[in-house]
Amino acid sequence: MKVTYNWLNEFVDFDLSASELGDLLTMLGLEVEGVEHLGGDLDEVVVARVVEKNQHPNADKLSLCKVDDGRGELFSVVCGAQNFKQGDTVALARIGAVLPGDFKIKRSKIRGEESFGMLCSEKELGLADESEGIMVLSEELPLGQPLFDALKIKDTVFEIGLTPNRADCLSVIGIAREIAAKLGRKVKYPVVTQPEDGEPVHQKIKVTIQDPSGCPRYAARYISGCSIGPSPVWLVNRLKAVGVRSINNAVDITNLIMLEMGQPLHAFDYSRIVGSQIIVRRAEEGEPFFTLDNQERKLTADDLVICDKEKPVALAGIMGGLNSEIADETSDILLESAYFNPPVIRKTGKRLGLHTESSHRFERGIDIEMAPKALDRAAVLIAQLTGGKMANGQVDAYPAPRKRVEITFRPDRANEMLGLHLPSDRMADLFRNLEFSVIPTANGTFQVCIPSFRGDIEREIDLIEEICRLNGFDQIPATLPVAQVVSERPSLHQILQRQVRDCLVSAGMNEIVTFSFIGPEAADRLLLAADDSRRNSIALCNPLAQEQSVMRTTLLPGLLETASRNMSFRNLDLALFELRRIYLPNNGEEMPREPLFCAGLISGSREEASWCHGTQPVDFFDAKGIVESILELAKVEHTCWSPEAPEPFHHPGKAARFSVGGVSLGSVGEIHPVVLHNYGIDYPVFYFELNFEELVRLAGAQKKIIPPSRYPDSVRDLALLLDRARPISELIDCVNGLRLKELEEVSIFDLYQGDRIPADSKSVALRLRYRSNERTLTDEEVQKLHQKVVDATTQKLGATVR
Amino acid sequence: MREQLEQLRLEAVEAVREADSEERLNEIRVRFLGRKGELTGLMKGLGALSPEERPLVGQVVNCVKAELETLLEQALVRERDAATTRRLATERVDITLPGRRFRQGSKHPVTLVIEEITEIFAGLGFSVAEGPEIEHDWYNFEALNFPPEHPARDMQDTFFVEQEMLLRTHTSPVQIRTMLKQKPPVRIIAPGTVYRCDSDATHSPMFHQIEGLMVDSKVSFADLKGILTTFTNQLFGQKTGVRLRPSFFPFTEPSAEVDIACVICGGNGCRVCKQSGWLEILGAGMVDPEVFRHVGYDPEQIAGFAFGMGIERIAMLKYGISDMRLLFENDIRFLKQFQGGATS
Repeated sequence: MKVTYNWLNEFVDFDLSASELGDLLTMLGLEVEGVEHLGGDLDEVVVARVVEKNQHPNADKLSLCKVDDGRGELFSVVCGAQNFKQGDTVALARIGAVLPGDFKIKRSKIRGEESFGMLCSEKELGLADESEGIMVLSEELPLGQPLFDALKIKDTVFEIGLTPNRADCLSVIGIAREIAAKLGRKVKYPVVTQPEDGEPVHQKIKVTIQDPSGCPRYAARYISGCSIGPSPVWLVNRLKAVGVRSINNAVDITNLIMLEMGQPLHAFDYSRIVGSQIIVRRAEEGEPFFTLDNQERKLTADDLVICDKEKPVALAGIMGGLNSEIADETSDILLESAYFNPPVIRKTGKRLGLHTESSHRFERGIDIEMAPKALDRAAVLIAQLTGGKMANGQVDAYPAPRKRVEITFRPDRANEMLGLHLPSDRMADLFRNLEFSVIPTANGTFQVCIPSFRGDIEREIDLIEEICRLNGFDQIPATLPVAQVVSERPSLHQILQRQVRDCLVSAGMNEIVTFSFIGPEAADRLLLAADDSRRNSIALCNPLAQEQSVMRTTLLPGLLETASRNMSFRNLDLALFELRRIYLPNNGEEMPREPLFCAGLISGSREEASWCHGTQPVDFFDAKGIVESILELAKVEHTCWSPEAPEPFHHPGKAARFSVGGVSLGSVGEIHPVVLHNYGIDYPVFYFELNFEELVRLAGAQKKIIPPSRYPDSVRDLALLLDRARPISELIDCVNGLRLKELEEVSIFDLYQGDRIPADSKSVALRLRYRSNERTLTDEEVQKLHQKVVDATTQKLGATVR
Repeated sequence: MREQLEQLRLEAVEAVREADSEERLNEIRVRFLGRKGELTGLMKGLGALSPEERPLVGQVVNCVKAELETLLEQALVRERDAATTRRLATERVDITLPGRRFRQGSKHPVTLVIEEITEIFAGLGFSVAEGPEIEHDWYNFEALNFPPEHPARDMQDTFFVEQEMLLRTHTSPVQIRTMLKQKPPVRIIAPGTVYRCDSDATHSPMFHQIEGLMVDSKVSFADLKGILTTFTNQLFGQKTGVRLRPSFFPFTEPSAEVDIACVICGGNGCRVCKQSGWLEILGAGMVDPEVFRHVGYDPEQIAGFAFGMGIERIAMLKYGISDMRLLFENDIRFLKQFQGGATS
């Protein structure tokens, strides 16, 4: 919503600078989002007088003038216009002035005579599209004053970002009312006097409202004998200042009054209204209609239309019809001023994608009592500008006049709610400033009567807000609440989230955040099987783009795309993770499921290249190690690792799923080369994902702390030849299965497969550390224990000692 | 024999004096005091002496032995010190070479801001609540007093999923879910992901908000101002000016936009604050009675306030990020700058 300083000033007196006014509006909740100064750059164009006008010695069509610009010195100015005489007051552009179109005024010689400036036309000053000759001004204007100041054209335009509740401020008067309320002034409402000597309007117009819920009020006037033509400059400029294009004198007045009073108006060519009748009804299903913008609209039974005896002539409150618009040859005008039901207008506008200045106001709710007032004012102005004659009176169909809203207001409640201590007199004054009437009652409360223009005030809380707003938000003190402390400890879910993040960050991983919606083709790119449940994703009805159209069922696509993007910038050493939700369809339940997943991706080298060591590429075991760290952190035990049925996006020979007690937790592995190709990745990538919800469910408690033994250890190494196909986990399980109390630790310190041993075997070197909690073990005891390990592994697993 | 002993003593003392290494001293020890050493050899000759002379000479031998041992010990310390000094004088590393680092990861700036804000509010007694991102229209709009066909719905461009389901446009539905689950008092903070169908340099179709809600028997608008002042001072540093301006949200009344004095220019006016000196960072207000009615609270018995803010906006201000898209491109050259949490 755009308003200008001068326009507002017409309706309320204030003595504020433009920036003070801007701040006042913002602090009233009418946020000034932009300010534009009109004419401020034309201060070098001043009021001047032609003291002498002589013929130019070297040119017939030019004159040589002596001009007084109020500074006491006379200038020579060469001028080509003929429409002025000696003694006239004119507009002088001094040297240095820059006229619209970046036309810079310089000292110049014209046909041998020096000229110190230029006498300007309206066109040259941007005041009119066309003009003849130079501007001749009123003699009363003070010499030397900047012209735009003298003509009061200088103005400041405020762009106000209105919140949807403040429909009343979609007008100059509405905003003026706010200023008046804040300053304790009165609004100077326009007074309309119209000649009542025409023929009675009832003989010219008949209005029938068939749908009073859609159209509670419809008023109209008739103006005959109008000459449609261009609007005067003042009107064009006023509309232009707030960004509205001039059309013709009649239509411009409807726009002017809408902007000024907030009441959308529509002017029909009366000759096109068949039967001189207006019928307000719902459209027929499928009824076609051409709106003013020359678009054919298919209407539905939800749409409200204004019709003549035969056909729709306007889409109520949104746009007029092509069939009845004001044209150059229009002579008689039917002027509409109505109130339409906000949701009806909104629904139709939304369906048709049609948003106009008019519908914008109707769908927010205008002042139902404004219709006849705006109608009168507009009709008078149209009659004046077009030379038309008004019929006597207006038609005003208003079957069920609205009662004013009355609200009980408790000053104490307001103070309590706001943390203020305002006397109730002060509150009553604030209400009266807003033009609300206040009747105090015996028990200290007020009965507050709300004017029709404030449709947003319906409850006591709305009044409390008005007190707060008008008294000033800056008057609210800052206090801290006195209340019971109810804060709870973070949940295990929340604690683990932070711990897992910290763990991954200390493992050198960078956390990423990717969009929750992805492209539907991801399922194919990840090689998911046709019956993979992850193909069943939640789709958006109105996505912004195809690649953001379905909710992800796995974090992998986001990570792969991020990796690919980074790799294109040659960021090749990657360790990325994302700990966020995936979205699964509800399968009959009320809400979709949104489990939190933790996924990570690593690629490139394990350590940054350095002068002290080489770099090694990351592999499966780096990814697995990260998973193991998370499991350890969550104190999840007895994880089962399985190479069976690897994920389709994993390399089948370098992938595992892991689970605990039959509950699947996630997977880890190298990404399948075809998937890498699908994402344009040329380097090996390793990926893990983990169902965070299951992790939290399986998370264990802190184990009992065991004091470390104070006795020395004995370490024995054991190198075994094992069947190559046998998983190492069986060897470890076998050793642990002996449950030797004194076997403190068993670790794998070497693994060899190669030429020096048979092709179907592998060599595994175990380091076993023996120690007792009670005494120093003797060599014989350790040997005995170690022999058990040797026997078990050789007998149960067919291993041979190397 | 005594002469022999004296001769031996002098030789040994001279040898120790001349010795210039720990090795050499050990050789001297072996030569004189070793099992086959010269002094030991002499001691074996004691048996040939007369019983009268034996203890006297024995005493002298012991004296010489003790003296030698002391001398050797001192010399050993001397040589060790000298060796250490020599070693320290020659061993050098080029300390300008880079150290051997372990790789440091980083949290995403969105996470960092959420964690920081959550911590501040935890200190003010707020606990964390969460809710679904794919939300029912009722929780996202209706219960928050956005009636169907109300222009207020235009304030939030919505992604729809299916009949009545949508991607939540704000974290405010968590207010509703929390109040439906528990009786007052309530003091929660709800960080989360939200969606609006809007995309340009300052809007992302997915972004993050933190919602706060406090409900108790006596909570006022002044308390809201107090809590938010405390919060912004902690987040942006002491004495950050706070300004409340009237605004409109369907689910609060009175409603306010909360501005802080521009953290870039200190309130003098710059490009970031569009010359106004103020930065809008929060929306807030007193919970509308209609919202309380939807969750079965009696608005005559309790009062509450709610507030919400955009995480990206705060991250951008805190870290001086000019383009929101950087946050979702996840370029590691960007992310690595948040190592260690990037405190402001």
